[in-house]
Amino acid sequence: MHMSDALISPTAAAVTGVVAAGLLATCLRRIRTDFDDGSAQAPSEYVIPLMGVMGAFVFAAQMLNFAIPGTGSSGHIVGGILLCAMLGTRAAFVTLSSVIMLQCLLFADGGLLALGCNIINMAAMSCLVAYPAVYRPIAGDGSSAGRIFAASILSSVVALELGAVAVVVETSLSGIAQLPPARFLAFMLPIHLLIGLGEGIATGSVLCAVRRYGMQVSSSSRPRGSIVAALVALAAAALMIGGVASWVASSDPDGLEWSIGNTAASEPIAAGRAHDVAESIRQSTAAMPDYDHSLAGVVGCVAVMAVVLIGSYLLRPRRKRT
Amino acid sequence: MKNRMQRALADMICRERALDSSGVMGRFDDRAKLLATLVYLVAMLSTPIYRPSQLILFAIFPITMSAASDTDYLRIARRSLIVVPLAAVIGIFNVLYDRRPAMEIGTTVITMGWIGFVSIVLRAMLSVQALSILILNTGFRNICRAMQRLGMPPVLATQLLLLYRYAYVLIDEGLTMSRARDARSFGRRAYPLRIWGVMVGQLLARSACRSRAVYAAMLARGFDGSIPQCDARPCRWRLRDTALVAAWTIISAAIRLADPAGIIQTFRL
Repeated sequence: MHMSDALISPTAAAVTGVVAAGLLATCLRRIRTDFDDGSAQAPSEYVIPLMGVMGAFVFAAQMLNFAIPGTGSSGHIVGGILLCAMLGTRAAFVTLSSVIMLQCLLFADGGLLALGCNIINMAAMSCLVAYPAVYRPIAGDGSSAGRIFAASILSSVVALELGAVAVVVETSLSGIAQLPPARFLAFMLPIHLLIGLGEGIATGSVLCAVRRYGMQVSSSSRPRGSIVAALVALAAAALMIGGVASWVASSDPDGLEWSIGNTAASEPIAAGRAHDVAESIRQSTAAMPDYDHSLAGVVGCVAVMAVVLIGSYLLRPRRKRT
Repeated sequence: MKNRMQRALADMICRERALDSSGVMGRFDDRAKLLATLVYLVAMLSTPIYRPSQLILFAIFPITMSAASDTDYLRIARRSLIVVPLAAVIGIFNVLYDRRPAMEIGTTVITMGWIGFVSIVLRAMLSVQALSILILNTGFRNICRAMQRLGMPPVLATQLLLLYRYAYVLIDEGLTMSRARDARSFGRRAYPLRIWGVMVGQLLARSACRSRAVYAAMLARGFDGSIPQCDARPCRWRLRDTALVAAWTIISAAIRLADPAGIIQTFRL
């Protein structure tokens, strides 16, 4: 789900960047309260190495693939819900955001300007929305493996679907891709439903294994809300997805736009004799008479870049080899 | 599985070793390089997608920056091809949905959709090239430090540096586990979910143990929530850093505002 810089406009990047930075700043400020267990040690001093190690764990675990039965392919974990279950929402959000930043700054995975989008789509949707609204009420106090499994699957599906909706909204608002938002959504939602199911089953397996080792799951501990709250959250998520779908569906041209388009296309602009003479002069003097001027521009720019490439390599400062 | 982890580890070590600040770009402050890249990305990505000629001109940034840092541009360009399939998946819909004619080559009509497709692929490649050159010239640690000096909270910078440090350790840990498993299961590339869950759970348990040991060791060394800065490189903002950012701002703005197709058209008549 890593968004590339190519699909977003600088305005969308700026807006999502500000939102992501605000969420990060708020979470960093409030992490202290999540881990304040009354011990003598300052919690933030303990939390930061823990977050670093857990982030590195997610980074390493993403490279361990499991087989998807019957497909011949394999999948890996994303880790949002898993981190939340181990660290609590805010610390997990910061940790997953830092994993996304590491992937961007180390492997150029996801764009630098699209960092805000990626943090919102992947970290915020799973850690700040799906986990508190769906996982926590269903999993309860973490004593039942079945409830942990069900909570993992449902929360992962909600997180992935909301992330997919966010990708569609950000891409549509950027106006780069011409794919109609309704069709883009119809393309994204089923794929992310399957990915969410896989992610949920994988997360549930790991959490159940962790529970068997006797480690504490859900370190932010106190279960809040109820199954009813989770169902309300699921309904709200469904409504939101439906609302976005209906909003984007209306982006197809209405009757008036359609008829204007047809009328404009059917009436050619009248050309006079002066236009014909100018056109014949242009054809006789042009270097590439059969080509459109846009193509000439492209050819010219490629030529300029070739000169820059050769020139910069001829003039580049040579490093002394030892 | 094993290969993927080995590749990632080798890639990280390789980048760390290849980091060399002795070239021309090494003389600039890391903040200046980061800001110049950001200015370039904003200008390049704000270009309308139906102007591919402008996007081609934007290749001037990765070409000259790689030459100035004595990095092989063609290697960077080859590396940026990795993003082409992802960009093409979205871009191909432009071809399907935007069939307005844009230009003719002989009798072949090129539609606006194809121009949009090429532009999306170019944007993806150029942004990855710019980011790759920044990473190769600056290194992950120095980018974190630069972002911290530009206003990123120190806690987040510390978290990123710890994450980077322990990524090596835990990938190594995961590699050890998968090697042991591979030795017992001949020819299996991916594991059944049940075994995978136990393995990742064990990795998580080991990570938690490791984090406790790390915390104890850090406390013993006087850790107070932030990692002290002990860079060998000076981090003073100089006039040349201002010049670098200003130069790329002017060049990016000039390319963004220019109309190369129009200029060439003027010369043709």
